[in-house]
Amino acid sequence: MNDFLRQFLIESRELVAQATDGLLLLEQSPANAECIDSVFRAFHTLKGGAGIVEFAAMERVVHSAEERLVQVRSGKRTLDPGLAGECLACLDQVSAWLDILERTGALPADRDPKADMAIDAAGILDSPADEIRSAAGMPVPQNWTASLLSRNSSVRGTAVSAIRFVPDRDCFYQGEDPVARMSALPRLLALDLEPVSAWPPLSDLDPYSCNLILTALTGSSVNDVSAHMQGHSGDCEVIAVSAAAASRMEGPLPRNVCKILEEQLALLDVEKVQHLPGRIASAGITAANTMQYCGRHDHAEALKRALGSGVGEHARVSLRDAIMRLLASDSAAPAQKAEPSQPPETITRTLRVDAGRIDSLVRLTGELTIAKNAMGHTAKLAQANGDSVAGLLKEQHGALERLIAQLQGSVIGMRVLPLRSVFQRFPRVLREMASSLGKAAKLEIEGEDTEADKTIIEMLFEPLLHIVRNAIDHGVEDANERLKRGKPRVATIQLRAAREANQVLIEVADDGGGIDVERVREVARSRGVAMETDLRTMAEADVIDLVFAPGFSTATKVTEISGRGVGMDAVRKAVEKVGGRVSIASRAGQGTTVSFSLPFSVLMTQVMTVEAGGQAFGIPADAIVETVRVASEGISGVGDARVIVHRNRTIPVLELGTVLDGSQKSRAREETHATVVIAAVAGQWVGIQVDRPGERMEVILKPLEGLLSGTSGIAGTTLLGDGRILLVLDIGELLQ
Amino acid sequence: MTVRLTTQGEIVLEGTCSSGDAEILLQHIIATPARQVDWRACEFAHTAVIQVLMAANPKLLGPPAGSCLRDWLSPILELS
Repeated sequence: MNDFLRQFLIESRELVAQATDGLLLLEQSPANAECIDSVFRAFHTLKGGAGIVEFAAMERVVHSAEERLVQVRSGKRTLDPGLAGECLACLDQVSAWLDILERTGALPADRDPKADMAIDAAGILDSPADEIRSAAGMPVPQNWTASLLSRNSSVRGTAVSAIRFVPDRDCFYQGEDPVARMSALPRLLALDLEPVSAWPPLSDLDPYSCNLILTALTGSSVNDVSAHMQGHSGDCEVIAVSAAAASRMEGPLPRNVCKILEEQLALLDVEKVQHLPGRIASAGITAANTMQYCGRHDHAEALKRALGSGVGEHARVSLRDAIMRLLASDSAAPAQKAEPSQPPETITRTLRVDAGRIDSLVRLTGELTIAKNAMGHTAKLAQANGDSVAGLLKEQHGALERLIAQLQGSVIGMRVLPLRSVFQRFPRVLREMASSLGKAAKLEIEGEDTEADKTIIEMLFEPLLHIVRNAIDHGVEDANERLKRGKPRVATIQLRAAREANQVLIEVADDGGGIDVERVREVARSRGVAMETDLRTMAEADVIDLVFAPGFSTATKVTEISGRGVGMDAVRKAVEKVGGRVSIASRAGQGTTVSFSLPFSVLMTQVMTVEAGGQAFGIPADAIVETVRVASEGISGVGDARVIVHRNRTIPVLELGTVLDGSQKSRAREETHATVVIAAVAGQWVGIQVDRPGERMEVILKPLEGLLSGTSGIAGTTLLGDGRILLVLDIGELLQ
Repeated sequence: MTVRLTTQGEIVLEGTCSSGDAEILLQHIIATPARQVDWRACEFAHTAVIQVLMAANPKLLGPPAGSCLRDWLSPILELS
């Protein structure tokens, strides 16, 4: 793939995200002009990008949605859920295309029929212009307010309402005088007339058939203007022009553009009439082209119109006035004009860096840590030998340690993203799920600025999606049921995040019916998830925790939404894989809360070193419950297995030395006491018998590579200061 | 008369021009090759009259007397 396409992909994805966010926000607050702008800009830029890489199908799809958004922008319609859905569907198609493009490096082969389908599905083929026609049967231009505002830029700041009035053709016979009515509008700021259809030759002109479109800007409210226009015959549209909408139309003219215009003015202002026709034509064309260049097409048109009247004195005057108006309206905003030379001080500077480069930095930092540890070990050796450089070595080791800690902090910071990037996908997910299940639910998001490592963020979506699905599908009751229980009709799903020391806590809470504990017992019994005897004595919280057990599903009917074969056990597995935990709490009739506790960074793993069979192992600290010393006779054999009874639990014991290397018999068995590290994985406790417990340390794990990559039970390795390799255990795998 | 043709072949609009004046104005414009309209004494013109001025686009001798014509309509008619 060439750089061009790569850039297009990155930008398009960002724009799709921007447009999606905006559309969802607009559904909540349809009048948010800033948001409308942002969505519109995103669609517009997407279209432009597609044009540059010659992706015509995408251009068409995006354009069709953009066309509709123009109406929203001009205030002609609000963004109802139907329209939002159509635009989101277009974005979905674009995303699918981007995926293919990223995978294959080429434009998708079936893009044209897909584009037709997308446009058809969105119902955009029936051009909106067809829907909105004036009585005369003429389409209403969608951006008349925009062009009216740009033609009358000097009153932009004061305009409150815009009016477009197309009188009936026979209105003169009814004694109406549309121009008089419009010019008497309260606080009139600008008035414009244009023919509905091109003027016929004068000999064919019917002076009593009204062929005019009257547009105006006023400083009065829509209500006042509507009241004034009451009783007219014809089509009248009154639109509120917000200050934001009015000012966004145009910024000041760039300095060089002003300069060009001033020069054209000088050309027109000369006393001598020598070569006047040439001067007028030249000045007019230059000015019009300049405006075209700035994207001010309406002004360019106005200048061309002024020129269209010929190249005589009349044209000179109208052209001069038109240019002067342009310059005058521009100087009406002096505050803005002074700005360009000084860039704003607090500019956010970002740099896109390939994730692979950051990962290699992470690896290097890990290596550096190992080198530092080796240096620490050397310092210790030197001290033991009474070497004279020992002090110096120790000092420098200390300095290096501080620097590396800082480096690690920075590197970890680079891989950190706000949870917003995951959370922001949920409003849309919830909207679609709720509507497909016929339930009403709203989403409340809290703490989306909380940050976490990229790996955590990337793995979070699926588990969260599953939990939210469950909440809507199984948790939230039908509207009628909710009302009966005295709850608001619309259910609330909360997505909360917070940082607590080195942990990121995430909660998904619903205000639904809660988990039916008896039903969980029943299912667990019938599916053999837990033994009958255990179930009877189990605490309620432990019973609820059984929903995470493999093969458990309380859904009586498998629905499309939550019955996809991914159980809660997969959620727990995914979370534990990154060193996190997940738990569930529920209150009957009041709702369920699923809590995730995840490490802030997956780079650093807290381990406890242990020794077994002459080898150093690391056990992830977050899995360790406690370390106990038990008398050898306390370990009893049950068949082939060995167990201890601790805190009223029967805990299986694995002998680490033999589990990993069956041939070697550990020394531990011959001693009178055994050291057992008790670890908890997926709610299951396991004892790991070791020769000797070591120290706690923070390590950067290196995954197993090459021939060793298939070894089960080992999460990764790291080097100890003395050069020995520390194998860090994956307790979950070890248990299997 | 609010619309009249001078002996020099110039069309003059005066006072308040009603809708009935539109047809007369149109005929005068068609009849005079100079197509110049003096509306300096015009106080008010009905939409129908304005429409004829827009369609014919004659050379206007102004500014007109009426403030509405002067402020709102003469810029439009001069540009059309």
